Amino acid sequence: MIGSPDVVAFTKEDEYGQTAPDPWAPPEEFSVPLYPLADSNPWAKTSYAKFTKDFILISEFSEQVGPQPLLTIPDDPKVCGTFDLNYFSLRIMSVDYQASFVGHPPGTGYPRLSFVEDSRVVLGDSKEGAFAYVHHLTLYDLEARGFVRPFCMAYVSADERKIMLQFQELSLRFSQASECLKAGNRRAFAKELQRKLRDLEYTHSVLQREEGLQREAGPQRMYSAHAVEKANELANVEKSIYEHRDLLRQISSYHHRPRRDPHAVTCQKCITECLSECEQLLDKYAKLARPFSYTDKGEKGQEGQFQVNNERGEEDADEVEDEGVKRRPSYTPQLIKAKSAKCFDKRLKTLQELCNITFYEATVALLKETERGFRGDLCYLHTRRLDMALRRKQRVTNFLFEEDLGDDDDEGEGGTLKSFCAVNHTVDNYTLLNPPHIVLGPEPLELDALEPPGPLDLTSETSHTQETELGLVESHLDSSPSDQTLETQESSEETKGSCSSDKSEMGLAERQQDLTKSEAPDPDSDLILDPDHNTDLERESSSEEMETTAGDEGDETPVSLLEVVSELEATREDEFEGLTDGASDLLVPLDSACCMAQEGFLYEASAPEAVPRLGQSSHPHPCQNLVVNQEPQAQLPLQDEYTVGSPCSESPVTGLELPVGLLGDAVSRTSMEDGSDCTMSASTGSDRAASPLGYGGMVTLRQRKKAGQGALKFVRQYPFAMQALWCLLSGRTLVVLGADEGRVRRLVAALALFVPGPRKCGERVQAWLSCPFTLTDLQRWKLIGLQRVASPVGSSMLYSLSRYSRYISILDADQKTLRCPPYQGQLLANIADHRTYVRRGSTYFLQLQSTLCQLAARAFLLTFTHHLHLPVSSTEGPEVVEGRRRCFLQEQLGLGEEDSQILLYLSQLITQQYLKPATGSSAAATSFSFNYTTNVLYKI
Amino acid sequence: MSSGCPPQSPAVAKSEVTVEGECPLLAATFAYWDNILGPRVRHIWTPKGDQVMFLSDGEVTFLANHTLNGEILRSAECGAVDVKFFVLAEKGVIIVSLIFDGELKGDKNTCALSIILPQTELAFYLPLHTICVERLKHVIRKGRIWMQKGYNIISVLSLEIVPIMELLASMKTHSVPEDIDIKDTVLNDDDIGDSCHEDFLHKAVSSHLQTCGCSIVVGSNPEKVNKIVRTLCLFLTPAERKCSRLCKADSSFKYDTGLFVQGLLKDSRGSFVLPFRQVLYSPYPTTHIDVDINTVKQMPPCHEHTYNQRRYMRSELSALWKTDSEEDIPPDTVIHTDESFTPDLNIFQDVMHKDTLVKSFIDEVFMLKPGLSLRSTYLAQFLLLLHRKALTLLKYIEDETQKGKKPFRSLRNLKTDLDLTVEGDLHIVMAFAEKLRAGLHSFVFGKPFYTSMQERDALMSF
Repeated sequence: MIGSPDVVAFTKEDEYGQTAPDPWAPPEEFSVPLYPLADSNPWAKTSYAKFTKDFILISEFSEQVGPQPLLTIPDDPKVCGTFDLNYFSLRIMSVDYQASFVGHPPGTGYPRLSFVEDSRVVLGDSKEGAFAYVHHLTLYDLEARGFVRPFCMAYVSADERKIMLQFQELSLRFSQASECLKAGNRRAFAKELQRKLRDLEYTHSVLQREEGLQREAGPQRMYSAHAVEKANELANVEKSIYEHRDLLRQISSYHHRPRRDPHAVTCQKCITECLSECEQLLDKYAKLARPFSYTDKGEKGQEGQFQVNNERGEEDADEVEDEGVKRRPSYTPQLIKAKSAKCFDKRLKTLQELCNITFYEATVALLKETERGFRGDLCYLHTRRLDMALRRKQRVTNFLFEEDLGDDDDEGEGGTLKSFCAVNHTVDNYTLLNPPHIVLGPEPLELDALEPPGPLDLTSETSHTQETELGLVESHLDSSPSDQTLETQESSEETKGSCSSDKSEMGLAERQQDLTKSEAPDPDSDLILDPDHNTDLERESSSEEMETTAGDEGDETPVSLLEVVSELEATREDEFEGLTDGASDLLVPLDSACCMAQEGFLYEASAPEAVPRLGQSSHPHPCQNLVVNQEPQAQLPLQDEYTVGSPCSESPVTGLELPVGLLGDAVSRTSMEDGSDCTMSASTGSDRAASPLGYGGMVTLRQRKKAGQGALKFVRQYPFAMQALWCLLSGRTLVVLGADEGRVRRLVAALALFVPGPRKCGERVQAWLSCPFTLTDLQRWKLIGLQRVASPVGSSMLYSLSRYSRYISILDADQKTLRCPPYQGQLLANIADHRTYVRRGSTYFLQLQSTLCQLAARAFLLTFTHHLHLPVSSTEGPEVVEGRRRCFLQEQLGLGEEDSQILLYLSQLITQQYLKPATGSSAAATSFSFNYTTNVLYKI
Repeated sequence: MSSGCPPQSPAVAKSEVTVEGECPLLAATFAYWDNILGPRVRHIWTPKGDQVMFLSDGEVTFLANHTLNGEILRSAECGAVDVKFFVLAEKGVIIVSLIFDGELKGDKNTCALSIILPQTELAFYLPLHTICVERLKHVIRKGRIWMQKGYNIISVLSLEIVPIMELLASMKTHSVPEDIDIKDTVLNDDDIGDSCHEDFLHKAVSSHLQTCGCSIVVGSNPEKVNKIVRTLCLFLTPAERKCSRLCKADSSFKYDTGLFVQGLLKDSRGSFVLPFRQVLYSPYPTTHIDVDINTVKQMPPCHEHTYNQRRYMRSELSALWKTDSEEDIPPDTVIHTDESFTPDLNIFQDVMHKDTLVKSFIDEVFMLKPGLSLRSTYLAQFLLLLHRKALTLLKYIEDETQKGKKPFRSLRNLKTDLDLTVEGDLHIVMAFAEKLRAGLHSFVFGKPFYTSMQERDALMSF
């Protein structure tokens, strides 16, 4: 079967594979194209749709005008373009899969409400290039035919594969939205029934009085035609009252019916609240039934009137209470005419009216979030999801170069943020309005099998209450992380200033001004491209906005998508490892022996007196006969221990005392403290560019991508970029010196991408410092932006630079020079080649991610390969192990001396991170090393 | 359920298909839109044997009719096959319908070929959706020709409906789990070469990745076969694993087009005959691994594979078009009749492209202590690297060509910039990228009719 590997070319008959047309060949419509469009342009597959990007469409099958579009999300006509929404609504609504009997079923006295499950359909219009996930649902309306109003919500995309691959996520999101709408609708329907019943009661009492008066006025035992008509009318009203009471009973029983949809998402709190409301109403109207047992007409009339009034009074109170601050006028019962207005000129209720406004708005908010979450190209969404899943499996190295996964873990595990009720998303907006208090809880026993399991039930009233009381409703509840990022990105950058020591204080107006300035090109900037580049940049930025993938929008949107994924996956048993459990699962089996038991590999980071070693080795030497004898605990949520705030949150003692003691450095404690204070100095720079990193706030992927653009420019413009990157990656502090704050900040932001273990809030980076730094600062910061000033302060800064020059490298942004030890390795050649043809920052960022991921993997290998740290036999000494390690680095990994330093440093950080929880130290001290290699001055 | 159903049409024919094991498929139907009577069901296929859920013929008919609802508005191009996917919680079923136009009794009709499954099988079915749809699409192409000729389409459709029932039944029992314990794989060996020869393992994994994660593993020992199957599946995504199948211990499954990794048992004579057509119809090229003799062979890369596949499909449809009798349904074997196209039966070639990515990984992973999660972590890092490299490559090409508007002319720069100068590395990353962006190979390597040899020449010239 397996033949020779020789291949006979298929195209022998002619050069271009174009054979003469075969007269007997089937017409193209019965064949397949030999060269499909996707081959000539893989990006063109979805280009023939008439809309520009995916959107959500809500449509209704109106009993008056047929299928009609109601709403699109986003509500921007540009999105839909020339796409015919009417036609598409007709197509997606033309199938009534929920068809079952409505109205009066044969043999029953009262009309029946039809409780149907939602249906989900994926369909498309291949000619239009439009495909849709369609979620059909039914709402109740007392005035609609059969009391039902069919609606659908559709996610419309040009990419059919995108919909099918994310079917479950879409289904979950739309199920949430649907349940929210339906919960609001049931309340509104019950309210409508209540009003109707009051109208009927009122009508009944009026008719009864009229009928009694007529009976008294007329001759005994003689009934006029009018009286008979009144009596019939009265009977009809009574029947109607019974019917409506039965409808109320039916809607109350909605929650008791068995669910047939295993994928339905329900909020127990909504159910309970609606149920209790309905039951109250039922009780109320059961009492009102008494007037029918009329004995004394005079009394009845008064009593009835009284009761109605009384009821109205109660109702007023209810309404005032229910509607909260809306203060709507109380409802006045209307007299119902004999014939109801079931005609086509009546106005049907809008979707807002059909649902409680709170629920409607919550649904729209949820759908908006959904739209954002699924926005973008499938391949980027898909890769991002895989990326997340894989990073969850390597927590031990994630801290080096990856953005934080903490929030996702919380959601995946705890369930506290996994709101299955959309109302929670806007709950704080309605606090004053006494909104429905939505708390998720377990389903009743009979529904257990149909409900999402365990972790979802964890969202408790407690958490909700805490949040509302504190006024600190998490963004996950309010809005997705992407919401927050998208909406408050700029402000968040400023907020960072408040928790970052380096952010100078400035007035709002000034900030505004600076923001404006920062948008304008800086004529002095190193990173400003020539006009051609600018054009390219503009094109890039616009392209990246369009590129809903790795671009601006795309970078955040998958996060909320991943929320969905985690929600989905959390429903599967043991699908996700949570932050704590996951870490322990991962790390308990990890053999810590090679991290903890080998001599000469680790230094003790746990002891308070542990000091950073200022050894005189020629490379970072992480091992000094110190053995950690304590079994490391399952790795705790490492990064979560970091507080969001200034670098000062780091243990100051660790930073301040150690180097002094060991070195006997002349830097006094006082001066160090001063130095520390100095970092709080106000900025004098007028040109402040937005610097995403090092502000103490969370560094988002979006910011990192933006920094990627800066990093690419740096690499292209500075031929010695490789040396600078090597310094950062090998743990040598890099000081960026410059007079122009904007320029320095931009450089720091770009270079911060290369700082290993920058921590959640970039605490290892000091973007702008305007006073001399101390040795402690070097311990704390691995990348410093330093202001060059011509003053006494400036001279002291220069002094500190020269004084600590053996520990630092200096990148002079003004002179465009770099002073650092020579680097001749090859490991970084790929990401620091100034001749690179990579055009865009986002692409470079992806390349960078790959390279850094590879470095982290190698460092992991180095860290956890036993025989590189432990003697194989008892006769082996440390030098043999050391030799083996060197051999591994040089021969197995093919690294030179300088490249090895990078891996050794990364490995050392991994070890510290791994052992940190066991030692109880909140911030393990990093090693501090230098060598006697002469610094070299690189110039452009 | 039956209460709301219309009476069953007396004309509905039914075939019962014997399927080994529990078949999750409830029924398959062929329905059409009759211009006078509206939607009508023409044929029902049901599996014979144990079923999770029972649907009466009336219920099946009711559901099948509904698949055509709204299709009176259909304005698709002639020959297009549109897919509709329903999850009807009210009925507790999922329905996959392929809508197409065909000629029945001299009239153009809208037709639907549907399969019905219980809603509880949604998670099971979704990963297999593409496989089922692609296979059904092709049989519909054949069926449309048959209808055009006025022949009975049912016999043609049965050619694929039955294998799909068998596929779903086999996947129910032998699909690879989403989470694979590394202890069940070669990567848990104490040392490299314990289970299989080091070079064999490297070659197998490398070729497996170069062929987009699509491999067949044949052998005489089911345990050995399954160990390699699981090992290869470690390099797939969870969804792809669900589209992979272990081999059966006692007898072999048939080869199934579209699965990512499948283990197949040789017969008592030590051979396994692969159906040429089915292998060629696989969406990606395939790696052939024989664990008995430690050989690894691979099909040509994606663009060449797609080209061969399409040529074969066209030949097959052409042969059908030329058939004169309804009895002459061409067998699913090699087509010899077409003079203009002679398929090359030697579709499996030696693995020519050496790589460094897999080589380093295999060398290094065995340095980590087994039995802990170290190797799993290292594997995750390796996969993350590959996914990121693929995305970078895709983005690089996207930038260079303005999303395909311009031809790609800078392969050499790409290789240098992205550190993919080793041919095997480039092929692995390209294969990952191809899965993300179908057609990438054809786009990058230019003329899709290049053979591997020509491509190699082209690559050498850079």
